[in-house]
Amino acid sequence: MAGQDTAADPAKALECKEKGNKCFQAGDYHGAEELYSKAISYDPTNPLLYTNRTLALLKLHRFPLAITLSQQCISLSPPPSISLKAHFQLAQAQIALHHPSEALESAKIAHSLCVEEVIVGGKGANNIGPITELVLRCKKELWELREEERLRSRPSLLNELVAGLERDREAYISVLRAEGKGKDVEIESVKERYKGKIGELRRTFELAGVNGEEGKRRKVPDWCLDDITFSVMLDPVVTKTGQSYDRSSIMEHLKRSPTDPLTREPLRVEDLRPNLALKAACEEFLEENGWAVDW
Amino acid sequence: MAANFASKRLSKELNKINGQLPPGISLVKAEDFQEWLLDIKVLDSNPIYLNQTYRLKFKFSPSYPIEPPEVTFLLCPDRPIPMHPHIYSNGIICLDLLGQQGWSPVQNVESICMSLQSMLTGNTKNERPEGDQQFVANNRRRPRDIDFYYHDNTV
Repeated sequence: MAGQDTAADPAKALECKEKGNKCFQAGDYHGAEELYSKAISYDPTNPLLYTNRTLALLKLHRFPLAITLSQQCISLSPPPSISLKAHFQLAQAQIALHHPSEALESAKIAHSLCVEEVIVGGKGANNIGPITELVLRCKKELWELREEERLRSRPSLLNELVAGLERDREAYISVLRAEGKGKDVEIESVKERYKGKIGELRRTFELAGVNGEEGKRRKVPDWCLDDITFSVMLDPVVTKTGQSYDRSSIMEHLKRSPTDPLTREPLRVEDLRPNLALKAACEEFLEENGWAVDW
Repeated sequence: MAANFASKRLSKELNKINGQLPPGISLVKAEDFQEWLLDIKVLDSNPIYLNQTYRLKFKFSPSYPIEPPEVTFLLCPDRPIPMHPHIYSNGIICLDLLGQQGWSPVQNVESICMSLQSMLTGNTKNERPEGDQQFVANNRRRPRDIDFYYHDNTV
């Protein structure tokens, strides 16, 4: 690591960081990245330097290194607001490299840290919208992976079943042949029968495919939709009217107007309660219907 | 908040609207997520609005539905501005639902159209708001910046 041949000097590290921030604001991410990297070599224990460098790396699309840096940051056990940032950045880099299950893990940690921030009123609370979006995106990509796998494996299962039927048919026919002449009509009827069976098997698979893709695909039940964004809820919270909203969207509304969207009565962030059963139901729905993230 | 907040929600509303709209409401134009046009009709036999169709213009900001849309009646051939004590002759509507205070993000394009339909249905006064001529001649503000008085509950 670069830090090993440089003497620790937190003051110099801060100096580099300030210069890096200037570059970053000016859009010079290369310059910023180098300066943050230098800052880390002067002070490898300051987690904030890692999240700054990771942010620059994300802008530069250097995702593998961004993953390493955010993991190093997390291993320093930083305070919650920085840990939140590091996990959020880690998730962004992981999803960019198409690792949805790792990204989902990281994004979920970021989300729960963010909910804590919301409760204590920390400034990390502002990230609830983008983090919610990222968690949903991870879920969708995971579902897509599983769906691809399912579609790939289905033809082979079908082929196996067809081959099994064909073996049965051949066995039948060879028995009839062994019994001697005059069985031609019977052999033909066996062939017909199996042709029918194989055809029906193929049709059944096709139907299941159509239903899986189209019939089931298009309908999102109202109970899992947030009435503000019309998206599937990730973290539903309930108000005293009994209506649930996703935490990220009701937060956005409360910033503008501290009222219940239905009754306009006063409503504060502290009045919101998680709706755990609905959360589990939405999660289960998304598990089976990842497409619903973008319906 | 992400810049596509409004477009995401509006694309979902559009999906729904393209499927079905309540009677008397029809979509005229929705080519982007900044401005939509819809036509509404009053369905009962209120003589003030009989056999008329009115055009509504919706303008959305990037923070819709956290912020209300700007909704006005639009004057076109065959599309007059309806007579109502809360509707100015330039199409500006005075309705608490559309104001900063009365708006709620659970409202949507369809529910606004229905509220306007019922605002017309229930009206018996064939007149403009007080000071209409003066307001229309002088107003340079956008509808959202005007503080209407919502004291009149009789209409």
